[in-house]
Amino acid sequence: MSLDVLLGFTQALALTMSVAFLTYVLLIVVPYLRHRPAPVGTSTAFEWHFLVPCRDEEAVIGDTIAYLRMTFPLAHVWVVDDDSDDGTAAAVQAWLDGGDNHIHLVRRARPHARTGKGDALNDAYRTLKLWMGRHADPDRAIAVVVDADGRPAANCLEVCAADHLFGTPTVGAVQVDVRMLNTGVPQPDVTRWRKTFGAALVRMQDLEFRTAIAAIQMSRGVTGTISMGGNGQFTRLSALDSIAGPTAQPWRGSLLEDFELGVHLLTAGWRTGFSRDTHVHQEGLYSLRRFLAQRTRWGQGTMQCMRYLRHIWDSKHLSTLGAAEMLYYLAQPWMQLLGTLVYPIPLLLLAHRAAVNPTEVWTWFTEGAWILFTVYGAFGLLPFLIWGPVYRARCEPGVSVPRSIAYGFGYALYIYTFYITSWRALIRLLRGNNTWTKTRRNTEAHAR
Amino acid sequence: MALVSSPPVRRSALPSRVVVIALLGAAAALVLANQAYRNAEITLSGFLIGVVGSDGVAVVPDRQTVYFGLGSDTPLGLRMTPECTSAFLVLPLLVIGAVMIALRPRVTRRVLLALAAASVAVVVVNQLRVLSLVGLVEWLGTDDGYYWGHTLLGSMVSVFGGAAALVLFVRLATRR
Repeated sequence: MSLDVLLGFTQALALTMSVAFLTYVLLIVVPYLRHRPAPVGTSTAFEWHFLVPCRDEEAVIGDTIAYLRMTFPLAHVWVVDDDSDDGTAAAVQAWLDGGDNHIHLVRRARPHARTGKGDALNDAYRTLKLWMGRHADPDRAIAVVVDADGRPAANCLEVCAADHLFGTPTVGAVQVDVRMLNTGVPQPDVTRWRKTFGAALVRMQDLEFRTAIAAIQMSRGVTGTISMGGNGQFTRLSALDSIAGPTAQPWRGSLLEDFELGVHLLTAGWRTGFSRDTHVHQEGLYSLRRFLAQRTRWGQGTMQCMRYLRHIWDSKHLSTLGAAEMLYYLAQPWMQLLGTLVYPIPLLLLAHRAAVNPTEVWTWFTEGAWILFTVYGAFGLLPFLIWGPVYRARCEPGVSVPRSIAYGFGYALYIYTFYITSWRALIRLLRGNNTWTKTRRNTEAHAR
Repeated sequence: MALVSSPPVRRSALPSRVVVIALLGAAAALVLANQAYRNAEITLSGFLIGVVGSDGVAVVPDRQTVYFGLGSDTPLGLRMTPECTSAFLVLPLLVIGAVMIALRPRVTRRVLLALAAASVAVVVVNQLRVLSLVGLVEWLGTDDGYYWGHTLLGSMVSVFGGAAALVLFVRLATRR
């Protein structure tokens, strides 16, 4: 292949990928901006069980139990202690000793513990089934997965009980919006630079979940492929039963067990829902190192889920549009890898030409090519930049217009970290390193 | 007389496999025989420029170049370079189409139709780009016309045309 053909090919591929992404973003932002809250339902029509997987969560679990019991007095709280090395179990035991029969402790022990969040949730599921007995109505029981630092909004049960969500018998699972609890709260006891950087990183996580991810989920309402997240995940017990199999394991072994759950539900014929009318709060990460570790795990999990591609496309319950949407999602980390290889090629070839013939390239640039650079730069940035003003319009009206644009630029930089995490995920995948590396909380001791 | 049910007809997966191989082969051909594709593309451009009435048009396919305005004081030649051709915009569509057919053979007809429509759209958009460039050169003169036509307008046509072709492809290939 000649250099000219290589340049033409890589330019066209870069253009196609950019245009595809820009078109996709414009298509999802419109329904997001048009969203209006839907009527809520009656939460007492269902039985709610919060499942809280914990691995060394002593720092946060006590407050989470207190919050869940006070906010949702009728709901049950199932804490799964994944053989914590700290005082997690003791913290839960203190509540049990208080005589609250809506709190339950599911204890796991090594070597069968610390094998993944999915396994911990499966233990909770099996214990819940035993506790409910054979005659319980699994259509009325909802399992809610909440992180140990999670704070579901007070209206979440009413919202999820709405007619268009669990009020519809074919809806097997509902995912709610995720927000960062510590948005605008600077990290204490660190240098000024780290405080500023940490606050910006948390802000970007909040922006990402409340705008871009929420918009993607809403567009999946059209394709019938709304996916589940690790926090604020509501699933009907009968839906879990239908995919649990003989070993009673509705959650499977990938690092992205939440997405995996959604795949199994959708291919089993259940519908999934998403709501922005309620939310769950979780802690955003201040540390870039921890953030990159978390996103590497997510990227690796997405790569692992590629194994479901054939299963998804074979399913008679998923439309071609739905299967294509899931293919697009699963292809994301691979496209990021491809992007890191393809995007620099035109620039490298240009740099080579500039080195060989600087006058010609300079003339080319000043006589019009700068417009091309501006146009392509704008199209490359716009799909990310747009979320800053959208965040202001729908989530944080108190933010000024210039600041919202700055958030947009920040979000573009934030997204570029995925090019790093995708490569890290690939390396881990190739090395067969599939262990569950839990993301440490901001409040944990020895935090760095 | 006993009623004997006929054994289930087992459909061969060969046709969809053949289609997938053909599409991937076409994608490879767009790279390997890129010059031939550009020859054809510039010949089409020459024909269309002639139809819309430029003053004197000549095509030199071997150089992938069309000359127009030959009867005027300012004739100009446009070369269809690898960076300007629609070949590499059609190529990703062929690969995506092949993947879709490989994963869900029952959508073969629909995907082929979508591929045909989107490919035609991409080729038409590229011809519109050339025609708009010729129009601007004739309207604003060689320097300004080429400047605006080749940079801003050409890029806009490519981006919006590419987006329209992609939307068309997805819509046609995934409709129920």
